[in-house]
Amino acid sequence: MPEYRVVVSIEGGSPVPVSAHTQVTDLSVDDHACLTFGEQEELLDLTAAFVRDGLDSGFRVVVLSDTPQLAVAKLGWREIVTESAVAAGQMVMVASQDALIGPQGFSAEQAIGWLRAQLAESRRQGYAGIRVALDMSWALRPMTGIEELPALEEEIASAVGGAGMSVLCGYDRERFDPVTLALIAPFHSHSVAAATYHDDPVLRICRQYVPPGIRLAGEMDFLAADALALALGEAIRIDGDIAINMANLSFIDASSVRMIMEAVTSLDPSRTVVLRCPPSVEARFVQLGADRLPHVSLAGVDEQ
Amino acid sequence: MLAWLASMSSDERRPVPAGPGDGAVLAGEQAYAMAGAVPLLLDQDFDSGTLYALRAAAQAHAIEAGLAEDRTDDLVISVHELAANAVRHGAGRGRLRMWKRAGALHFQVEDGGSRATAGQAACGGEEAGPEAGRENAKAADEGPESGGNVADHWPFLPGHGLWLVRLVSDQITVSSGPDGTRATVVFTLSPEDSSASSPD
Repeated sequence: MPEYRVVVSIEGGSPVPVSAHTQVTDLSVDDHACLTFGEQEELLDLTAAFVRDGLDSGFRVVVLSDTPQLAVAKLGWREIVTESAVAAGQMVMVASQDALIGPQGFSAEQAIGWLRAQLAESRRQGYAGIRVALDMSWALRPMTGIEELPALEEEIASAVGGAGMSVLCGYDRERFDPVTLALIAPFHSHSVAAATYHDDPVLRICRQYVPPGIRLAGEMDFLAADALALALGEAIRIDGDIAINMANLSFIDASSVRMIMEAVTSLDPSRTVVLRCPPSVEARFVQLGADRLPHVSLAGVDEQ
Repeated sequence: MLAWLASMSSDERRPVPAGPGDGAVLAGEQAYAMAGAVPLLLDQDFDSGTLYALRAAAQAHAIEAGLAEDRTDDLVISVHELAANAVRHGAGRGRLRMWKRAGALHFQVEDGGSRATAGQAACGGEEAGPEAGRENAKAADEGPESGGNVADHWPFLPGHGLWLVRLVSDQITVSSGPDGTRATVVFTLSPEDSSASSPD
Protein backbone atom coordinates (compact mmCIF):
# COMPACT_ATOMS: atom_id res chain seq x y z
CA MET A 1 0.00 0.00 0.00
CA PRO A 2 1.29 3.45 -0.81
CA GLU A 3 2.01 5.51 2.25
CA TYR A 4 -0.58 8.21 1.86
CA ARG A 5 -3.41 5.74 1.67
CA VAL A 6 -2.87 4.29 5.10
CA VAL A 7 -2.52 7.54 6.99
CA VAL A 8 -5.19 7.79 9.67
CA SER A 9 -6.18 11.31 10.48
CA ILE A 10 -6.11 12.08 14.19
CA GLU A 11 -8.98 14.53 13.96
CA GLY A 12 -11.31 11.81 12.84
CA GLY A 13 -11.92 10.29 9.45
CA SER A 14 -10.36 7.06 10.52
CA PRO A 15 -11.55 4.04 8.60
CA VAL A 16 -14.98 3.02 9.79
CA PRO A 17 -15.59 -0.68 9.91
CA VAL A 18 -19.09 -1.35 8.72
CA SER A 19 -19.80 -3.93 11.38
CA ALA A 20 -19.22 -1.51 14.27
CA HIS A 21 -22.22 0.54 13.27
CA THR A 22 -25.93 0.17 12.87
CA GLN A 23 -27.20 0.95 9.41
CA VAL A 24 -29.46 3.97 9.45
CA THR A 25 -32.15 1.90 7.75
CA ASP A 26 -32.23 -0.47 10.72
CA LEU A 27 -33.27 2.13 13.27
CA SER A 28 -36.68 1.73 14.88
CA VAL A 29 -38.83 3.38 17.52
CA ASP A 30 -37.26 4.24 20.87
CA ASP A 31 -33.79 4.41 19.34
CA HIS A 32 -31.48 7.26 20.21
CA ALA A 33 -28.80 7.11 17.56
CA CYS A 34 -25.54 8.97 17.21
CA LEU A 35 -24.78 9.62 13.58
CA THR A 36 -21.21 10.61 12.83
CA PHE A 37 -20.47 11.96 9.40
CA GLY A 38 -17.42 13.14 7.51
CA GLU A 39 -19.00 15.42 4.96
CA GLN A 40 -22.25 17.32 4.51
CA GLU A 41 -23.41 15.01 1.71
CA GLU A 42 -23.20 12.10 4.11
CA LEU A 43 -25.29 13.83 6.77
CA LEU A 44 -27.93 14.71 4.20
CA ASP A 45 -27.95 11.21 2.77
CA LEU A 46 -28.34 9.46 6.11
CA THR A 47 -30.88 12.01 7.29
CA ALA A 48 -32.78 11.45 4.06
CA ALA A 49 -32.95 7.72 4.70
CA PHE A 50 -34.11 8.32 8.28
CA VAL A 51 -36.76 10.78 7.09
CA ARG A 52 -37.95 8.58 4.23
CA ASP A 53 -38.39 5.53 6.46
CA GLY A 54 -40.22 7.65 9.03
CA LEU A 55 -42.61 9.10 6.48
CA ASP A 56 -43.17 5.66 4.97
CA SER A 57 -44.09 4.33 8.44
CA GLY A 58 -46.64 7.09 8.88
CA PHE A 59 -44.70 8.81 11.64
CA ARG A 60 -44.40 12.51 12.16
CA VAL A 61 -40.90 13.65 11.21
CA VAL A 62 -39.12 16.66 12.65
CA VAL A 63 -35.85 17.81 11.12
CA LEU A 64 -33.75 20.36 12.94
CA SER A 65 -31.12 22.18 10.95
CA ASP A 66 -29.23 25.46 10.92
CA THR A 67 -30.74 26.18 7.50
CA PRO A 68 -34.16 24.48 7.29
CA GLN A 69 -35.11 25.88 3.88
CA LEU A 70 -31.91 24.62 2.34
CA ALA A 71 -32.40 21.27 4.01
CA VAL A 72 -35.87 20.92 2.48
CA ALA A 73 -34.44 21.61 -0.97
CA LYS A 74 -31.56 19.22 -0.53
CA LEU A 75 -33.72 16.44 0.85
CA GLY A 76 -36.12 17.08 -2.03
CA TRP A 77 -33.29 16.48 -4.47
CA ARG A 78 -33.01 13.04 -2.92
CA GLU A 79 -36.42 12.12 -4.22
CA ILE A 80 -38.11 12.35 -0.86
CA VAL A 81 -41.42 14.08 -1.05
CA THR A 82 -40.41 16.64 1.54
CA GLU A 83 -42.43 19.54 0.25
CA SER A 84 -45.71 17.69 0.17
CA ALA A 85 -44.97 16.13 3.56
CA VAL A 86 -44.25 19.57 4.95
CA ALA A 87 -47.44 20.91 3.37
CA ALA A 88 -49.42 18.06 4.91
CA GLY A 89 -47.91 18.71 8.32
CA GLN A 90 -46.38 15.25 8.59
CA MET A 91 -42.94 16.74 8.32
CA VAL A 92 -41.67 19.79 10.17
CA MET A 93 -38.45 21.64 9.46
CA VAL A 94 -37.15 23.66 12.39
CA ALA A 95 -34.22 26.03 12.72
CA SER A 96 -31.96 25.00 15.57
CA GLN A 97 -31.82 28.63 16.62
CA ASP A 98 -35.58 28.59 17.27
CA ALA A 99 -35.79 25.24 18.99
CA LEU A 100 -32.82 24.60 21.19
CA ILE A 101 -31.23 27.95 21.83
CA GLY A 102 -32.87 30.62 23.92
CA PRO A 103 -32.02 34.28 24.43
CA GLN A 104 -29.73 33.33 27.31
CA GLY A 105 -27.93 30.71 25.26
CA PHE A 106 -28.30 26.98 25.43
CA SER A 107 -29.84 25.06 28.29
CA ALA A 108 -30.48 21.35 28.36
CA GLU A 109 -33.75 21.95 30.19
CA GLN A 110 -35.13 24.22 27.51
CA ALA A 111 -33.97 21.92 24.73
CA ILE A 112 -35.50 18.80 26.23
CA GLY A 113 -38.67 20.81 26.86
CA TRP A 114 -38.86 21.52 23.12
CA LEU A 115 -38.36 17.85 22.31
CA ARG A 116 -41.05 16.69 24.73
CA ALA A 117 -43.41 19.28 23.25
CA GLN A 118 -42.76 17.81 19.79
CA LEU A 119 -43.59 14.34 21.11
CA ALA A 120 -46.79 15.59 22.76
CA GLU A 121 -47.81 17.41 19.58
CA SER A 122 -47.38 14.33 17.41
CA ARG A 123 -49.45 12.29 19.85
CA ARG A 124 -52.13 14.97 19.88
CA GLN A 125 -52.25 14.79 16.10
CA GLY A 126 -52.66 11.03 16.27
CA TYR A 127 -49.35 9.93 14.82
CA ALA A 128 -48.17 6.46 15.81
CA GLY A 129 -44.67 7.71 16.35
CA ILE A 130 -42.22 10.50 15.78
CA ARG A 131 -38.75 10.69 14.29
CA VAL A 132 -36.52 13.60 15.12
CA ALA A 133 -33.32 14.30 13.19
CA LEU A 134 -31.04 16.79 14.89
CA ASP A 135 -28.13 18.31 13.00
CA MET A 136 -25.92 19.12 15.99
CA SER A 137 -23.75 21.63 14.12
CA TRP A 138 -25.30 24.43 16.20
CA ALA A 139 -23.32 23.09 19.17
CA LEU A 140 -20.07 24.04 17.45
CA ARG A 141 -20.83 27.70 17.92
CA PRO A 142 -19.47 29.31 21.06
CA MET A 143 -22.41 29.96 23.34
CA THR A 144 -23.38 30.10 26.97
CA GLY A 145 -24.42 26.79 28.45
CA ILE A 146 -22.92 24.55 25.81
CA GLU A 147 -21.33 22.47 28.58
CA GLU A 148 -24.85 21.10 29.16
CA LEU A 149 -24.73 19.23 25.85
CA PRO A 150 -24.05 15.84 27.48
CA ALA A 151 -26.92 16.54 29.87
CA LEU A 152 -29.23 17.07 26.89
CA GLU A 153 -28.15 13.77 25.36
CA GLU A 154 -28.76 12.03 28.68
CA GLU A 155 -32.24 13.57 28.89
CA ILE A 156 -33.01 12.46 25.33
CA ALA A 157 -31.91 8.92 26.22
CA SER A 158 -34.46 8.80 29.03
CA ALA A 159 -37.16 10.53 26.95
CA VAL A 160 -37.14 8.02 24.07
CA GLY A 161 -37.76 4.97 26.25
CA GLY A 162 -41.16 3.55 25.36
CA ALA A 163 -42.31 6.89 23.97
CA GLY A 164 -42.63 5.90 20.32
CA MET A 165 -39.96 8.42 19.51
CA SER A 166 -36.61 7.92 17.83
CA VAL A 167 -33.93 10.59 17.68
CA LEU A 168 -30.98 10.80 15.32
CA CYS A 169 -28.23 13.17 16.46
CA GLY A 170 -25.80 14.12 13.70
CA TYR A 171 -22.25 15.00 14.71
CA ASP A 172 -19.56 16.07 12.28
CA ARG A 173 -16.65 13.87 13.30
CA GLU A 174 -14.14 16.22 11.69
CA ARG A 175 -15.32 19.28 13.58
CA PHE A 176 -16.39 18.03 16.98
CA ASP A 177 -13.47 17.30 19.25
CA PRO A 178 -12.92 13.70 20.35
CA VAL A 179 -13.59 14.58 24.01
CA THR A 180 -17.06 15.91 23.25
CA LEU A 181 -17.84 12.91 21.05
CA ALA A 182 -16.65 10.56 23.78
CA LEU A 183 -18.83 12.37 26.33
CA ILE A 184 -22.04 12.21 24.35
CA ALA A 185 -21.59 8.78 22.73
CA PRO A 186 -22.57 6.65 25.76
CA PHE A 187 -26.03 8.22 25.94
CA HIS A 188 -26.92 6.83 22.50
CA SER A 189 -28.35 3.38 21.95
CA HIS A 190 -26.86 3.11 18.46
CA SER A 191 -23.94 4.41 16.53
CA VAL A 192 -24.74 5.12 12.90
CA ALA A 193 -22.40 5.84 10.01
CA ALA A 194 -22.48 5.32 6.30
CA ALA A 195 -21.16 1.94 5.18
CA THR A 196 -17.65 2.87 4.11
CA TYR A 197 -15.55 1.00 1.59
CA HIS A 198 -12.53 3.27 1.54
CA ASP A 199 -11.55 6.22 3.70
CA ASP A 200 -8.28 8.10 3.67
CA PRO A 201 -7.28 11.73 3.16
CA VAL A 202 -7.39 11.35 -0.62
CA LEU A 203 -10.55 9.34 -1.20
CA ARG A 204 -13.74 8.29 0.49
CA ILE A 205 -16.09 5.66 -0.93
CA CYS A 206 -19.39 5.20 0.91
CA ARG A 207 -22.74 3.65 0.34
CA GLN A 208 -25.39 6.19 -0.57
CA TYR A 209 -28.78 5.42 0.91
CA VAL A 210 -31.06 7.87 -0.85
CA PRO A 211 -31.17 7.50 -3.78
CA PRO A 212 -29.49 4.10 -3.46
CA GLY A 213 -26.00 3.75 -4.82
CA ILE A 214 -22.52 4.83 -3.89
CA ARG A 215 -20.77 8.10 -3.24
CA LEU A 216 -17.19 8.92 -4.18
CA ALA A 217 -15.42 11.98 -2.80
CA GLY A 218 -11.84 13.12 -3.34
CA GLU A 219 -9.68 11.58 -6.07
CA MET A 220 -10.37 8.13 -7.48
CA ASP A 221 -7.66 6.07 -9.17
CA PHE A 222 -6.68 2.44 -9.70
CA LEU A 223 -5.04 2.21 -6.27
CA ALA A 224 -8.52 1.98 -4.73
CA ALA A 225 -9.87 -0.38 -7.39
CA ASP A 226 -10.66 -3.12 -4.87
CA ALA A 227 -12.79 -0.81 -2.74
CA LEU A 228 -14.60 0.53 -5.80
CA ALA A 229 -15.28 -2.99 -7.03
CA LEU A 230 -16.72 -3.95 -3.64
CA ALA A 231 -18.90 -0.84 -3.50
CA LEU A 232 -20.17 -1.32 -7.05
CA GLY A 233 -20.81 -4.99 -6.38
CA GLU A 234 -23.00 -4.19 -3.38
CA ALA A 235 -24.84 -1.44 -5.24
CA ILE A 236 -25.61 -3.79 -8.10
CA ARG A 237 -26.94 -6.51 -5.80
CA ILE A 238 -29.52 -4.11 -4.42
CA ASP A 239 -32.57 -3.95 -6.67
CA GLY A 240 -33.60 -0.95 -8.65
CA ASP A 241 -31.97 2.09 -10.10
CA ILE A 242 -28.53 3.16 -9.02
CA ALA A 243 -27.07 6.58 -8.36
CA ILE A 244 -23.34 7.12 -8.37
CA ASN A 245 -22.76 10.42 -6.62
CA MET A 246 -19.44 11.94 -7.59
CA ALA A 247 -20.40 15.52 -6.72
CA ASN A 248 -17.31 15.89 -4.55
CA LEU A 249 -14.95 13.92 -6.75
CA SER A 250 -12.27 16.05 -8.39
CA PHE A 251 -10.39 13.36 -10.31
CA ILE A 252 -11.08 9.94 -11.79
CA ASP A 253 -8.75 7.85 -13.90
CA ALA A 254 -9.54 5.78 -16.97
CA SER A 255 -9.44 2.42 -15.22
CA SER A 256 -11.97 3.56 -12.62
CA VAL A 257 -14.28 4.98 -15.29
CA ARG A 258 -14.00 1.69 -17.13
CA MET A 259 -14.79 -0.29 -13.99
CA ILE A 260 -17.93 1.78 -13.40
CA MET A 261 -18.96 1.44 -17.05
CA GLU A 262 -18.44 -2.31 -16.97
CA ALA A 263 -20.56 -2.59 -13.83
CA VAL A 264 -23.26 -0.47 -15.45
CA THR A 265 -23.15 -2.50 -18.66
CA SER A 266 -23.68 -5.69 -16.69
CA LEU A 267 -27.00 -4.43 -15.33
CA ASP A 268 -30.36 -5.37 -16.66
CA PRO A 269 -31.30 -2.61 -19.12
CA SER A 270 -34.46 -1.92 -17.14
CA ARG A 271 -32.32 -0.49 -14.36
CA THR A 272 -31.16 3.05 -14.87
CA VAL A 273 -27.97 4.57 -13.59
CA VAL A 274 -27.44 8.22 -12.81
CA LEU A 275 -23.84 9.43 -12.76
CA ARG A 276 -23.80 12.72 -10.88
CA CYS A 277 -20.52 14.47 -11.51
CA PRO A 278 -18.73 17.81 -11.80
CA PRO A 279 -17.50 18.85 -15.27
CA SER A 280 -13.95 17.49 -14.95
CA VAL A 281 -15.27 14.04 -14.06
CA GLU A 282 -18.11 14.16 -16.57
CA ALA A 283 -15.55 14.85 -19.33
CA ARG A 284 -13.87 11.50 -18.64
CA PHE A 285 -17.13 9.58 -18.78
CA VAL A 286 -18.05 11.27 -22.05
CA GLN A 287 -14.63 10.69 -23.58
CA LEU A 288 -14.80 7.05 -22.65
CA GLY A 289 -18.30 6.66 -24.06
CA ALA A 290 -20.56 6.45 -21.01
CA ASP A 291 -23.02 8.87 -22.59
CA ARG A 292 -23.68 6.31 -25.32
CA LEU A 293 -24.83 3.63 -22.88
CA PRO A 294 -28.60 3.49 -23.19
CA HIS A 295 -29.63 3.30 -19.54
CA VAL A 296 -27.08 5.77 -18.21
CA SER A 297 -27.69 9.43 -17.63
CA LEU A 298 -25.07 11.99 -16.73
CA ALA A 299 -26.23 14.63 -14.28
CA GLY A 300 -24.42 17.75 -13.23
CA VAL A 301 -23.91 18.90 -9.69
CA ASP A 302 -26.51 21.37 -8.58
CA GLU A 303 -24.99 24.48 -7.09
CA GLN A 304 -27.11 25.21 -4.07
CA MET B 1 -15.03 6.70 -33.79
CA LEU B 2 -16.14 10.26 -33.99
CA ALA B 3 -14.30 11.45 -30.93
CA TRP B 4 -11.15 9.91 -32.20
CA LEU B 5 -11.45 11.54 -35.61
CA ALA B 6 -12.03 14.87 -33.97
CA SER B 7 -8.84 14.46 -32.04
CA MET B 8 -6.86 13.47 -35.11
CA SER B 9 -8.11 16.34 -37.18
CA SER B 10 -7.30 18.82 -34.46
CA ASP B 11 -3.79 17.42 -34.52
CA GLU B 12 -3.53 18.02 -38.21
CA ARG B 13 -4.92 21.52 -38.02
CA ARG B 14 -2.41 22.61 -35.50
CA PRO B 15 1.18 23.47 -36.21
CA VAL B 16 3.39 21.24 -34.16
CA PRO B 17 5.04 23.47 -31.63
CA ALA B 18 7.76 21.11 -30.52
CA GLY B 19 10.36 22.19 -33.00
CA PRO B 20 11.80 21.51 -36.42
CA GLY B 21 10.87 18.60 -38.56
CA ASP B 22 7.85 16.40 -38.31
CA GLY B 23 6.68 16.57 -34.73
CA ALA B 24 4.65 13.43 -35.10
CA VAL B 25 7.78 11.30 -35.37
CA LEU B 26 9.91 13.33 -33.00
CA ALA B 27 11.27 10.84 -30.53
CA GLY B 28 11.08 11.49 -26.82
CA GLU B 29 14.86 11.45 -26.64
CA GLN B 30 15.12 14.33 -29.07
CA ALA B 31 12.34 16.23 -27.39
CA TYR B 32 14.10 16.04 -24.09
CA ALA B 33 17.44 17.03 -25.61
CA MET B 34 15.75 20.10 -26.96
CA ALA B 35 14.26 20.76 -23.59
CA GLY B 36 17.73 21.18 -22.23
CA ALA B 37 17.65 24.68 -23.63
CA VAL B 38 14.69 25.70 -21.50
CA PRO B 39 14.31 25.51 -17.73
CA LEU B 40 12.29 22.63 -16.39
CA LEU B 41 9.09 23.69 -14.66
CA LEU B 42 8.86 20.40 -12.86
CA ASP B 43 11.12 17.43 -12.30
CA GLN B 44 9.57 14.93 -9.97
CA ASP B 45 10.03 11.23 -9.28
CA PHE B 46 6.97 9.15 -8.55
CA ASP B 47 5.81 5.75 -7.49
CA SER B 48 2.40 4.37 -6.60
CA GLY B 49 2.43 6.23 -3.28
CA THR B 50 3.05 9.63 -4.81
CA LEU B 51 0.70 9.71 -7.79
CA TYR B 52 -1.62 12.01 -5.89
CA ALA B 53 1.20 14.48 -5.25
CA LEU B 54 2.31 14.16 -8.86
CA ARG B 55 -1.16 15.09 -10.12
CA ALA B 56 -1.32 18.04 -7.74
CA ALA B 57 2.09 19.32 -8.89
CA ALA B 58 1.24 18.88 -12.57
CA GLN B 59 -2.04 20.72 -12.10
CA ALA B 60 -0.42 23.62 -10.28
CA HIS B 61 2.24 24.06 -12.95
CA ALA B 62 -0.20 23.75 -15.83
CA ILE B 63 -2.38 26.48 -14.35
CA GLU B 64 0.68 28.61 -13.66
CA ALA B 65 1.77 28.15 -17.28
CA GLY B 66 -1.55 29.51 -18.47
CA LEU B 67 -3.33 26.37 -19.62
CA ALA B 68 -7.13 26.70 -19.61
CA GLU B 69 -9.05 24.93 -16.85
CA ASP B 70 -10.49 22.10 -18.94
CA ARG B 71 -7.17 21.61 -20.71
CA THR B 72 -5.49 21.45 -17.33
CA ASP B 73 -7.85 18.63 -16.41
CA ASP B 74 -6.82 16.93 -19.66
CA LEU B 75 -3.15 17.41 -18.84
CA VAL B 76 -3.59 16.02 -15.34
CA ILE B 77 -5.32 12.87 -16.62
CA SER B 78 -2.56 12.48 -19.23
CA VAL B 79 0.17 12.75 -16.62
CA HIS B 80 -1.68 10.33 -14.40
CA GLU B 81 -2.34 7.70 -17.08
CA LEU B 82 1.26 7.65 -18.26
CA ALA B 83 2.59 7.60 -14.70
CA ALA B 84 0.08 4.91 -13.76
CA ASN B 85 1.25 2.88 -16.73
CA ALA B 86 4.84 3.14 -15.49
CA VAL B 87 3.77 2.18 -11.98
CA ARG B 88 1.62 -0.74 -13.03
CA HIS B 89 3.43 -2.11 -16.04
CA GLY B 90 6.92 -0.60 -15.90
CA ALA B 91 9.38 -0.46 -13.06
CA GLY B 92 6.79 0.61 -10.51
CA ARG B 93 8.18 4.12 -10.45
CA GLY B 94 9.25 6.85 -12.84
CA ARG B 95 10.02 10.48 -13.41
CA LEU B 96 7.99 13.38 -14.72
CA ARG B 97 9.53 16.44 -16.30
CA MET B 98 7.61 19.40 -17.61
CA TRP B 99 8.71 22.40 -19.58
CA LYS B 100 7.26 25.22 -21.59
CA ARG B 101 8.51 25.86 -25.09
CA ALA B 102 7.29 27.61 -28.21
CA GLY B 103 3.78 28.26 -26.99
CA ALA B 104 3.23 24.78 -25.69
CA LEU B 105 3.48 22.86 -22.47
CA HIS B 106 5.49 19.67 -22.81
CA PHE B 107 5.83 16.89 -20.34
CA GLN B 108 7.70 13.66 -20.38
CA VAL B 109 7.12 10.55 -18.34
CA GLU B 110 9.94 8.05 -18.00
CA ASP B 111 9.04 4.66 -16.68
CA GLY B 112 12.30 4.32 -14.78
CA GLY B 113 13.69 1.31 -16.53
CA SER B 114 11.69 -1.78 -16.66
CA ARG B 115 10.34 -5.03 -15.69
CA ALA B 116 9.40 -4.77 -19.33
CA THR B 117 9.89 -2.21 -22.02
CA ALA B 118 6.81 -0.16 -22.50
CA GLY B 119 6.06 -1.43 -25.95
CA GLN B 120 5.88 -4.93 -24.60
CA ALA B 121 4.45 -4.11 -21.25
CA ALA B 122 1.69 -2.13 -22.78
CA CYS B 123 0.81 -4.91 -25.17
CA GLY B 124 -0.96 -6.84 -22.48
CA GLY B 125 -0.49 -4.38 -19.72
CA GLU B 126 -2.95 -1.60 -20.13
CA GLU B 127 -5.94 -3.58 -19.07
CA ALA B 128 -4.30 -6.44 -17.31
CA GLY B 129 -3.47 -6.68 -13.67
CA PRO B 130 -0.28 -7.65 -11.87
CA GLU B 131 -0.30 -11.17 -13.26
CA ALA B 132 -0.01 -9.90 -16.79
CA GLY B 133 2.72 -7.56 -15.60
CA ARG B 134 4.76 -10.53 -14.54
CA GLU B 135 4.27 -12.17 -17.89
CA ASN B 136 5.49 -9.03 -19.53
CA ALA B 137 8.53 -9.05 -17.32
CA LYS B 138 9.39 -12.42 -18.77
CA ALA B 139 8.93 -11.04 -22.23
CA ALA B 140 11.43 -8.31 -21.44
CA ASP B 141 14.21 -10.87 -21.27
CA GLU B 142 13.82 -11.40 -24.95
CA GLY B 143 15.30 -7.98 -25.46
CA PRO B 144 14.04 -4.43 -25.60
CA GLU B 145 12.81 -2.77 -28.69
CA SER B 146 15.14 -0.38 -30.38
CA GLY B 147 14.67 3.38 -30.05
CA GLY B 148 12.48 5.61 -32.13
CA ASN B 149 8.86 6.47 -31.79
CA VAL B 150 7.13 3.35 -30.65
CA ALA B 151 3.83 5.08 -30.05
CA ASP B 152 2.47 3.24 -33.04
CA HIS B 153 3.14 -0.06 -31.31
CA TRP B 154 1.36 0.93 -28.16
CA PRO B 155 -2.03 -0.60 -27.87
CA PHE B 156 -4.23 2.45 -27.78
CA LEU B 157 -7.24 0.40 -26.82
CA PRO B 158 -10.38 2.47 -27.00
CA GLY B 159 -11.46 3.39 -23.52
CA HIS B 160 -8.09 2.81 -21.95
CA GLY B 161 -5.62 5.17 -20.37
CA LEU B 162 -3.12 5.59 -23.20
CA TRP B 163 -5.93 5.98 -25.69
CA LEU B 164 -7.33 8.72 -23.50
CA VAL B 165 -3.96 10.50 -23.47
CA ARG B 166 -3.85 10.46 -27.24
CA LEU B 167 -7.43 11.70 -27.36
CA VAL B 168 -7.01 14.70 -25.09
CA SER B 169 -3.43 15.77 -25.87
CA ASP B 170 -2.18 17.61 -28.92
CA GLN B 171 0.66 15.21 -29.52
CA ILE B 172 2.20 12.14 -27.97
CA THR B 173 5.48 10.53 -28.92
CA VAL B 174 6.96 7.48 -27.31
CA SER B 175 10.49 6.18 -27.46
CA SER B 176 11.69 2.96 -25.97
CA GLY B 177 15.16 1.70 -25.25
CA PRO B 178 17.22 -0.34 -22.80
CA ASP B 179 16.61 2.24 -20.07
CA GLY B 180 12.89 2.05 -20.41
CA THR B 181 10.30 4.15 -22.12
CA ARG B 182 9.79 7.86 -22.48
CA ALA B 183 6.46 9.32 -23.45
CA THR B 184 6.46 12.98 -24.41
CA VAL B 185 3.18 14.82 -24.57
CA VAL B 186 2.43 18.30 -25.87
CA PHE B 187 -0.39 20.62 -24.91
CA THR B 188 -0.48 23.83 -26.92
CA LEU B 189 -1.14 26.98 -24.95
CA SER B 190 -2.92 29.07 -27.58
CA PRO B 191 -6.35 30.22 -26.35
CA GLU B 192 -8.41 28.59 -29.11
CA ASP B 193 -7.12 25.19 -28.05
CA SER B 194 -8.90 25.36 -24.78
CA SER B 195 -12.09 24.29 -26.53
CA ALA B 196 -10.62 22.03 -29.19
CA SER B 197 -9.99 19.01 -27.02
CA SER B 198 -13.58 18.11 -26.33
CA PRO B 199 -14.71 15.37 -28.64
CA ASP B 200 -18.25 16.66 -28.74
